[in-house]
Amino acid sequence: MRYKGYAGRILWIDLTHEKVRVEDFPEKLAERYLGGSGICARILYDLIKPGIDPLSPENVLMFATGPLTGTLFPQACRYTVAAKSPLTGIWGESHAAGHWAPELKFAGYDAIIFLGRASKPVYLWIDDDEVEIKDAGEIWGRTVLETDDILREEHGEDVKVACIGPAGENLVRYAAIMNDRYRAAARSGMGAVMGSKNLKAIAVRGSRDIEVADPEAYMDHVRRWHRKMLSHPFMPDRAKYGTTNLIELMQKIGRLPTYNLRQGVFDEYYKIGGETIYRKYLVKPVADFACLQRCGRYTAVYNEPYRCMGGGPEYETLCSLGSRCGVSNIEAILYGNWLCNNLGLDSVSAGGTISWAMECYELGLISRDELDGLDLRFGNEEAMIELLIKIAYRRGVGDLLAEGSWRAAKKIGRGTERYVMHVKGQEIASQEPRAQKSMGLAIATAARGADHLYGFPVLDEVGFEKEIRERFGEEYLPEIADRLNPKYKGFMVKECEDYMAVVEAVGVCKYGTQIPPVFYYQDMVDALRVTCGMDVDVRKLKMIGERIVNLNRAFNIREGISRKDDTLPERLTKVPAPLGPAKGHVVELDQMLDEYYRCRGWDLETGKPTYEKLLSLGLEDVAEDLLRKGLIRKAES
Amino acid sequence: MPYIYADPSRCTGCEICVLTCSFTYFKVLNPKKARLRVVRMEPAIDLVIACRNCERAPCMEACPNEAIKRTSKGIIVVDEGRCDGCGRCVEACPLDAIHIPPNGRAPIKCVACGACVQACPVGCLKMAYSFEEAFEKRRNYAERLKEIILSLRNSG
Repeated sequence: MRYKGYAGRILWIDLTHEKVRVEDFPEKLAERYLGGSGICARILYDLIKPGIDPLSPENVLMFATGPLTGTLFPQACRYTVAAKSPLTGIWGESHAAGHWAPELKFAGYDAIIFLGRASKPVYLWIDDDEVEIKDAGEIWGRTVLETDDILREEHGEDVKVACIGPAGENLVRYAAIMNDRYRAAARSGMGAVMGSKNLKAIAVRGSRDIEVADPEAYMDHVRRWHRKMLSHPFMPDRAKYGTTNLIELMQKIGRLPTYNLRQGVFDEYYKIGGETIYRKYLVKPVADFACLQRCGRYTAVYNEPYRCMGGGPEYETLCSLGSRCGVSNIEAILYGNWLCNNLGLDSVSAGGTISWAMECYELGLISRDELDGLDLRFGNEEAMIELLIKIAYRRGVGDLLAEGSWRAAKKIGRGTERYVMHVKGQEIASQEPRAQKSMGLAIATAARGADHLYGFPVLDEVGFEKEIRERFGEEYLPEIADRLNPKYKGFMVKECEDYMAVVEAVGVCKYGTQIPPVFYYQDMVDALRVTCGMDVDVRKLKMIGERIVNLNRAFNIREGISRKDDTLPERLTKVPAPLGPAKGHVVELDQMLDEYYRCRGWDLETGKPTYEKLLSLGLEDVAEDLLRKGLIRKAES
Repeated sequence: MPYIYADPSRCTGCEICVLTCSFTYFKVLNPKKARLRVVRMEPAIDLVIACRNCERAPCMEACPNEAIKRTSKGIIVVDEGRCDGCGRCVEACPLDAIHIPPNGRAPIKCVACGACVQACPVGCLKMAYSFEEAFEKRRNYAERLKEIILSLRNSG
């Protein structure tokens, strides 16, 4: 590998035949897709055959870091994990921070690709060049924290562990992969894919160098990036509250999902918000590798019955186990967060599924008997906690809820489908789109089903007008900065999706690149030049982002996705918000979708990339593949 | 004797100091080549470990080649020319603050150059002098005690 910054090697693990192979990282791949989400998109498009069962050995699970992961660029600590999702049946991808991904690079690998299925539970042990598939008999069945303890006892204190908990083992369709104890690659059920492969954990220790292309200039750039990050006005609040004070901010703009997204304001929001956590439960802000923002929390609850201590919570969990379920007992929410981490559950989908069941129970669509006798009213925190455990172990009604709200509703019927707050089978996260139209569009178009992070269009959320002007130009103002105005949101979401794909491809965090919007394309160009020696410019990077998004879309088109699936629950598009600052608003989805497809150069009717669009992005083979399958058309000449 | 110190209840464990150190001396990014390290422990402790330049230094006493010396400022340094890489200093150190880096021969340790202090984004790393540090710790404990007494009075 000519480029620095990369470890330069990809690790291939064939679990079926217990074979380990190391291959060089192709330079062409780096130039066209960078790393992380980009190389996952490319390699898995080629490796995963359309129509396969995501929980079968035919699925391929890939972990990938980016060229900046493990370097001194602010928040450069992330990895992507991708496979076909068992929750949505389409493209599955998740990301996490921590210390695990840098350690993998220090061991000399940019990515790991898992094929097949082990005949019995195993874990992967990596110590630089020593790579071994080992028996996991002792850790199978254990929780995340136990697994981490045992593996570090076995291999050494400095070892970094990524693993699944009982939820992943039991193939809960929204099981997470956990690393460094409290960090979750949570969404789209990657933990279940790992469980289906009988792979319990990946333990890594590394001692190799990451070189940089321009060592003379490197530290000057690092100091400049760090100054830029630290001087942002968001920094003091980020350190003090992490993301927890978003509860208060979202309440203020009516964007806090409450009672299964019935409304966007929660009367008791202050009980579960950032101020409460800071005053009573915060032990310390913690940072991931190379992170200056330290939005990570370490919290403790000192009283029974919810005594616990550990990492988190984030805003997402506070909302999904809090206001969304109508729960205002913060100690129960913190305990629920601890449980989700320890059992390896996506707290967003878990809260989403439980709040759906709560609404159906209150409406009389699901009986108490069906819920193992639980009185599942909104706000019943005891029932919520019990359900989290039942789901992870698939006990009783947990077996049904472990399938996710969309599958569970299809099984039950009786009109419960109307109350599933999902897109493409995945539960909507903690964003009430009626109070922020761009978010509604982003959730509808995201490649992994309902997902706020794929596009993460938060620039119009709390008035980053200056940054909007810098990034997109004067001509879209003022409408683009108005969160309740659907105008120009198609354009904005397209731009944000492309940029977020680049951010995940290089291995840095969306915090610091999108919110607060400190670093943009030019900073990435500088970083790739000085770190990797890569000859890129803003235009090339934008194209890489667009290429990744189109490749994700192509993967989904092969699985049958089209415009008909880029949708939102009727509650959000037809029922006006009943309360709060967004009262009376719905999401004007179709109007925004038209603009979005137009900006994307996709077919307005089908929502599919045109043959010509794919060609212009250098995806000739993908264009031919889709054309041959009759999934796209050539423009009529 | 001067040494690098960080309050473990304030250090966030980002390891920017560690990477900065390895880059300063080796021009590469590699935590195993840093002269200090950060150990994360439960609950919520991030402990920076760097040489304390002990008054009676076990590493110096253990070295059979007199390769470990003290400068006029009190900093213990390794004379690579005299070191034969036997590793006895590494075994002798009670803090695990001296080690032989990957592919290296002579051990490395913190020489209190201060490059990491400037890089720390939290501002919790500092160059400490034993007596000042002790005073600072006492003052911090007194401050914390004040908080506890006040909160007890308010709740009672």
